[in-house]
Amino acid sequence: MSPLVLFAVSILAGFIGAMSGMGGGIVLVPALTLLGVDIKHAIAISIVSVIATSSGSASAYVRDHITNLKVGMFLEMFTIVGGLVGAAITIVSAQHLLFLAFGIVLLASWMALFLQRHEGWRPVAHVDAFSRWLELRGGYYDQAIGETLTYDAGRAYFGGPLMFGAGLIAGLLGIGAGALKVLIHDLVMGLPPKVSTTTSNLIIGVTALAGTSVYLAAGLINPGLAAPIILGIVVGAFIGTRVLVRLRNETVRRFFLVVLFILGAQMLLRGLGVRL
Amino acid sequence: MTSLLKTASAPADQTLHKAKFEMETLVGYLLAGGVILSMIFIAAGLAWDWVTTGRLGLDYTIKGMNFFEFIVADVKEVVLTGFGPRRLVSLGIATLMLTPFTRVAASMVYFAVVERNWKYTIFTAFVLGVLTYSLFLR
Repeated sequence: MSPLVLFAVSILAGFIGAMSGMGGGIVLVPALTLLGVDIKHAIAISIVSVIATSSGSASAYVRDHITNLKVGMFLEMFTIVGGLVGAAITIVSAQHLLFLAFGIVLLASWMALFLQRHEGWRPVAHVDAFSRWLELRGGYYDQAIGETLTYDAGRAYFGGPLMFGAGLIAGLLGIGAGALKVLIHDLVMGLPPKVSTTTSNLIIGVTALAGTSVYLAAGLINPGLAAPIILGIVVGAFIGTRVLVRLRNETVRRFFLVVLFILGAQMLLRGLGVRL
Repeated sequence: MTSLLKTASAPADQTLHKAKFEMETLVGYLLAGGVILSMIFIAAGLAWDWVTTGRLGLDYTIKGMNFFEFIVADVKEVVLTGFGPRRLVSLGIATLMLTPFTRVAASMVYFAVVERNWKYTIFTAFVLGVLTYSLFLR
């Protein structure tokens, strides 16, 4: 496989990942397998690139004080263990099971994104003793409403174990699993939407590192192959976010959602042994 | 992933964030610096390889080495024989992997020394411990 082709495909994957809000990994892995890269190598390379894209975007939000560092650092304890377990499972897994799992997760995230409800955020009504002990209360300056929004986080005793599952999927499939993490932050812990996406970004970085360490030890990371891909996905995500700021076109989003649906469906079919 | 390496813009609420300010600045700049540095190393390595060989074709795996041995071996090579395309790419990947690792380590020190928050010092120490263990795997 020509590194130039890999570079170009990765730019596209990073771009679509950023434009659709699904993250680069979920586009990169199917794209690489379509180019003939073995799925385990594709997953291993993807998870290294996830460190770059998530840390890059997390940095700005942390400095803007939107990210809740304590929520992030508490939940990381669960996601990194999940990430290690997930990556270890991938190493011993049969290829078709990975295709199947990837297809299911891609289509599920696709559904979550497609059915995205724009409901208002509901503050946590009751803060349990454990969440209070964890000092999860936070606040940030919201530019849209022009004031500082303070909030509480609740049900951390439930959020933690669920994040183990999110970490497991991230390590297993080489993706950030951001959609899943945001869902847990929103629905279980009651974080405001901006806080939940930015905190998820912070967590994704260390979770991806945990997964990477397992793939590295298994000898699945070829730096020569990974280098143009990592660079490409960061460039693509950078362009994607810049375009995203200027272009809030629903038609464009729909177009990418169709692309993602096709990718998910073909992964699922390959997992089921259907040759396209 | 909505904004990659966006410059800080929101006015920080000083009364609310006074105590946390340094922690957030530290973590924010560590992450940005690490990613930018690693991208420079990787891009430089690939460009160097392209210019000298006329094609992009670095191909090597890291096998039989844990992450720390990989870093030591790479730095040793750089010190002994200078930079080269392959060494730059390896350095870039090592820097990338060290970025979240350093972020966790710095947070732990900050919680312990500046905030004296033992609860979170233990939490971050656990994360750091698990990551260090996993990076020793080979």
